[in-house]
Amino acid sequence: MNRLNQLPTLRIDPAEKRTLSYRGKSLPGVAGDTVATALFANGVRIFARSLKYHRPRGLYSLDGECANTMMDVDSIPNVRTENTLLKNGMVVKEQNVKGSAEFDWMGFIDKFDWMMPAGFYYHTMHKPAAVWPHAMKQIRKAAGLGEISPDYVMRGRFDELFLKADVTVVGGGAAGMRAALAAAEGGLRVVLLEARPHLGGCFDYRVSDNGDGTPLYQRARELAEQVAATTNIRVFTHAPLVGTYSNNLITAHQVGSDSDSFTERYIEIRSESIVVATGCIERPLLFDNNERPGVMQVGCAHRLARTYGILPGKQAVFAVGHDLGLEAAIDLFDLGLKIGCVADIREDGQNPDLLMALADRAIPVLKGWVAAKAHGKTVTKVTLTTVEGTVKRDFDCDLLVASAGLTPVTGPFIMAQAKMGYDNHTGYFLPTELPERMFPAGRLTGVGDPRAIEASGRLAGLQAAAACGVSLNGELDAAKAATAALPGPERGCKLVTAPVKGRKSFICFDEDATIKSVKQAIDKGFDVPELVKRFAGVGLGPGQGGIPGHNLPLFVAKYTASSATPKPTTLRPPLVPTFIATYAGAHHHMFKRTPLHKSQKAAGGVFRNIGVWKRARYFSDDFDCREEILNVRGNVGMLDGSTLGKFRIHGPDALKALQRVYVSDMSKVKEGRIKYSAMCNDDGCVIDDGVVVKRGENDYYFTTSTGRAGATVEWIRYHTRFDGWDFHLVNLTDAMGVINLSGPNARKVLAKVTDADLSSEAFPFSGYREITVGGSIPARAMRLGFVGELSYELHVAASYMQAVWDLLEEAGAEFGIRNFGVEAQNVLRMEKCHIILGQESEQRTNLLDVGLGFLWDRTKSACKTVGAVALRQAEKDPNRFKLVGIRMEDDDRPARDGALIVDTKVRGYVATMRKSFTTGEAVGMALVEKPLSDIGTRLEIFEDECNGVRLYARVVKMPFYDPNGERMKA
Amino acid sequence: MALTLTCPVCGKRNGYEFRYGGEDKGPRPAEEGMTPSAWCDYVHMNKCTAGVQKEWWFHRDGCGAWFTTYRDTVANLEVDAPEVTE
Amino acid sequence: MAEIRRESPVDFGVRSLETEVRSDWPVALAYDAEGDGPWVVDLSHKTRWDLQDGQVGELTPAGQSVPATPGMSVLADGILINRMNRTQTSIYHLGSDAPDLPDHPGFTDVTEATIFLALFGPHALHIAEKLSNLDLGDPNKEAPFLLQGPFCHVPCQIVTLEKDAEDGTNGAGGFVLTCSRGYAQSMVHAILDAGAEFGLRPAGEQRFAQWLAALSS
Repeated sequence: MNRLNQLPTLRIDPAEKRTLSYRGKSLPGVAGDTVATALFANGVRIFARSLKYHRPRGLYSLDGECANTMMDVDSIPNVRTENTLLKNGMVVKEQNVKGSAEFDWMGFIDKFDWMMPAGFYYHTMHKPAAVWPHAMKQIRKAAGLGEISPDYVMRGRFDELFLKADVTVVGGGAAGMRAALAAAEGGLRVVLLEARPHLGGCFDYRVSDNGDGTPLYQRARELAEQVAATTNIRVFTHAPLVGTYSNNLITAHQVGSDSDSFTERYIEIRSESIVVATGCIERPLLFDNNERPGVMQVGCAHRLARTYGILPGKQAVFAVGHDLGLEAAIDLFDLGLKIGCVADIREDGQNPDLLMALADRAIPVLKGWVAAKAHGKTVTKVTLTTVEGTVKRDFDCDLLVASAGLTPVTGPFIMAQAKMGYDNHTGYFLPTELPERMFPAGRLTGVGDPRAIEASGRLAGLQAAAACGVSLNGELDAAKAATAALPGPERGCKLVTAPVKGRKSFICFDEDATIKSVKQAIDKGFDVPELVKRFAGVGLGPGQGGIPGHNLPLFVAKYTASSATPKPTTLRPPLVPTFIATYAGAHHHMFKRTPLHKSQKAAGGVFRNIGVWKRARYFSDDFDCREEILNVRGNVGMLDGSTLGKFRIHGPDALKALQRVYVSDMSKVKEGRIKYSAMCNDDGCVIDDGVVVKRGENDYYFTTSTGRAGATVEWIRYHTRFDGWDFHLVNLTDAMGVINLSGPNARKVLAKVTDADLSSEAFPFSGYREITVGGSIPARAMRLGFVGELSYELHVAASYMQAVWDLLEEAGAEFGIRNFGVEAQNVLRMEKCHIILGQESEQRTNLLDVGLGFLWDRTKSACKTVGAVALRQAEKDPNRFKLVGIRMEDDDRPARDGALIVDTKVRGYVATMRKSFTTGEAVGMALVEKPLSDIGTRLEIFEDECNGVRLYARVVKMPFYDPNGERMKA
Repeated sequence: MALTLTCPVCGKRNGYEFRYGGEDKGPRPAEEGMTPSAWCDYVHMNKCTAGVQKEWWFHRDGCGAWFTTYRDTVANLEVDAPEVTE
Repeated sequence: MAEIRRESPVDFGVRSLETEVRSDWPVALAYDAEGDGPWVVDLSHKTRWDLQDGQVGELTPAGQSVPATPGMSVLADGILINRMNRTQTSIYHLGSDAPDLPDHPGFTDVTEATIFLALFGPHALHIAEKLSNLDLGDPNKEAPFLLQGPFCHVPCQIVTLEKDAEDGTNGAGGFVLTCSRGYAQSMVHAILDAGAEFGLRPAGEQRFAQWLAALSS
């Protein structure tokens, strides 16, 4: 097709060629084309088949308000081809067709619409119920939009942007640009969002005069240049608004061009004030076959020619209700379109200049006439009628430009919870009360005069700036006066539907909902728009209310003979379809690594996520960790325990704070000794355990479990928030790495790297010493026994961790020192019945249940210790669980962690159980009801998929290894 | 996402930065003489006001301060400036 | 015997051109092809102190007075002091060597607790707005100023040292950032990824020193 290549309004570059692949053929397009315009230029008229009736659908609005031109592009279904810029090599397919969009074998369904009244899913096919699964399967095959392959992987780069702005202007038409310029005058930070790939809005494609002798398109480009030259305005084009929320939060997405670093990106803007200048779309004209390919809205026909250089047809008929329709007819005639007739719904009120221009061109104008029916699979003929339906006349044509008038894009207001009401003069649904610091501008306020549009933009921009605290009283008054002096809102066309029965008059294209189905819904009692919307599916499609949003409430009010004003339906974000990938953005996976991460990895560590950390769980593919375990028991091993929570607490009231959160009497913590204790919540449930060390007067160092480190500061401050105590917390979790050196040879290894006296007399079990390693590296050393052997826990500055580790590894080489991981530690400590909170406890488990009652000091009630009151109560409760040691009857079949202990009901569960390499027994710990906790009690264990076979274990004494602790105290 | 809270230290911030700390119920009662049910009421019973209530928030991702502020629970909007507590 | 050497948590994945060892820290002085900015510099070896005291406002760490209100920072003699809240202040030694930790019990050396990055040059603030909704270019604040909040979802201390001189919209300027040390790799990855479109490159300490000198002059 030959393009109109010389128009000054074009947004394509005819010299820069693009190609796309459609139905196995390579079709040409040009830079600036959308996928839809390129297809249209190649003669494609039927783009897809409709959801339910498989009716042919084509270009209608050119802004993606309906699913008509949704296609499969590069394996992504439901792409709005009208909004998608053509990129070289795109592969485009039609959707929901058997055959092709042109010849769809399912097209016959359209004849059976009488079988599918509104709500037919609800009241057919459920009797008998067994029918439904089969019916659903068939319906799913026949109906719907695009399909996605389950193993499709989204390609592209997705990103996100979090902007702060003083003023955000939504809509980059003339009003929006004027608003942005006005708001930017005082130096405010302004963001301008435009859904189309270019600024200009309704001025962009029009050649009519702006009232000052400048063609509108030229005026739009002038404004765009001014905007570009204003450095404090940031412009985002091809960036449709997705949602507005309270506190003036706006979300949008931006589609990237070839030169951008992103495919699509999420934009979130928090701004002080907002100008909404989203303009108008067109209100669809309701008549029979009103969605046939060949029927299109005024702006669509006009922009096809002026923006994309494509004459939308050869022989046209216009059926319109707004002066823009007349303007388009004149301009398109001048560009070479033959026009059989212009039917104007309005009897009067037209701009006389436009009527004169039509007369000059001998284009007949029928006032008070409207389209009644379009004929042909793509339009070949149209029947026009007077609005009363008294007379009909047919016209041959291949293009019917049909539009009832305009409808404002008020989504931003609706989503910001603005109350909407019907405005009798314009016929629009407009906010009756504006959300705070949100200002409307431009065509959506009802004004049509170009100067009035610009003036309303400037006024709104200044108002938005004033809302940010910029003082500009004089200017604001001047802008108000300027607006008042110009023409105000125009009277809108009120016709709801052509005088037809409406069986094939589509009020909602996406869901194939007709006037008839709306009537059926109302007749069944669903007589308000929100109910009709759901029952008849009007506006539930991808376009939300873009097509039916204005017509539905008008029609419902008419059909119910309601004297109340029509009530619009609501909208929700996302206002336009947005990729999930866009919401996901760059999705950086943020996790912590220990200072030894690299060397642990090099040593064959198999890592697992533990809270925010990655930790080495195994050091071989033997996930039972036999070698790691036996090496600790018989020799010496090293564990990276750096994820342990570590804190300093200091200040005059530090001890008071510790007394509040720890169950023990922390005043008994002595220098040089470690104190093991636990924290409970207010229900007495144990949440954390760790050790506390006193390093000086009012100066303590304490550890928490890995999972609690992130909440420790919050916890302590929360439980002291009314006390006004003077204490300070420093989170040293990441500052210090931890090496756990364990095994009978641990002392010999450590002695090789430090001069400190490590004898049991000088550094006994439960001791704390500050030693120097490798001649100069300070280390905080603790003698603990978590794994049940002689152990030293070294806390070392993170940056020195690798050096210390290497020293120990070198020193231990002669003993065959080796790594052990978290799983080996888990088994080692289990054999000693040392608990891990979260494993031997869950949310309801209290301090007493797990046998840590000995930690609790009952004499310090003045400290108001967290959990103490509940523990006093729980002590008297005979129905608590108790942690017990258990051994399987069959030592070769340990129960799994979490297996249930049952009789006629659940009585408890296995917390941890392993086959112990040390003792050869299958042993573990379980939380059971108190009556089952006596030594020797036989327990019945249920596991998933055990096919009715139970496992059996007996309660045995704890611990299973070195009961007197001689090894760890060695 | 849309909720903002005013941290007395850091100023107005995105609600995601904060952890909710419950309704303001006043200081911890004394442990002596506390009955189990009175304790349970203090810990677990809430007024659940449909309207403006005083509540605790923690600036978890920011300065780490606990503070009270007033929030309209129906609109989910902060309505009054917070009180500096610390 | 194994070498006693510290390790920075930050690894840009490229070899530095020039390195010097300073109290066991290997410090990258310069990288190959540092480009025209923006730059990211690893300052994790620079000493950072935490100071907490009920009367922190009356203390004079390193001879400087503590800013009066939370969120305010002062930069003098290569020392950046940031008031965090009523009782807490962070002190960054951006210049050369830090003095010994003062004897006052309120001080904690937290150098090891965090990574410390500087991000500056053209578009530095544009990179930040891809990762955080904090307002690093807040027109109502005078640089340097402190923000405590999430950056790429991780709680950080961020100090804007320089706002874009013009009007805050060109994204030039720069800031320093600390976050938990364990996040080093994730944070560096996120920043380099976000900065790729602007040509963000790792740079050495010398580049930072030049910027600091320009800021102080």
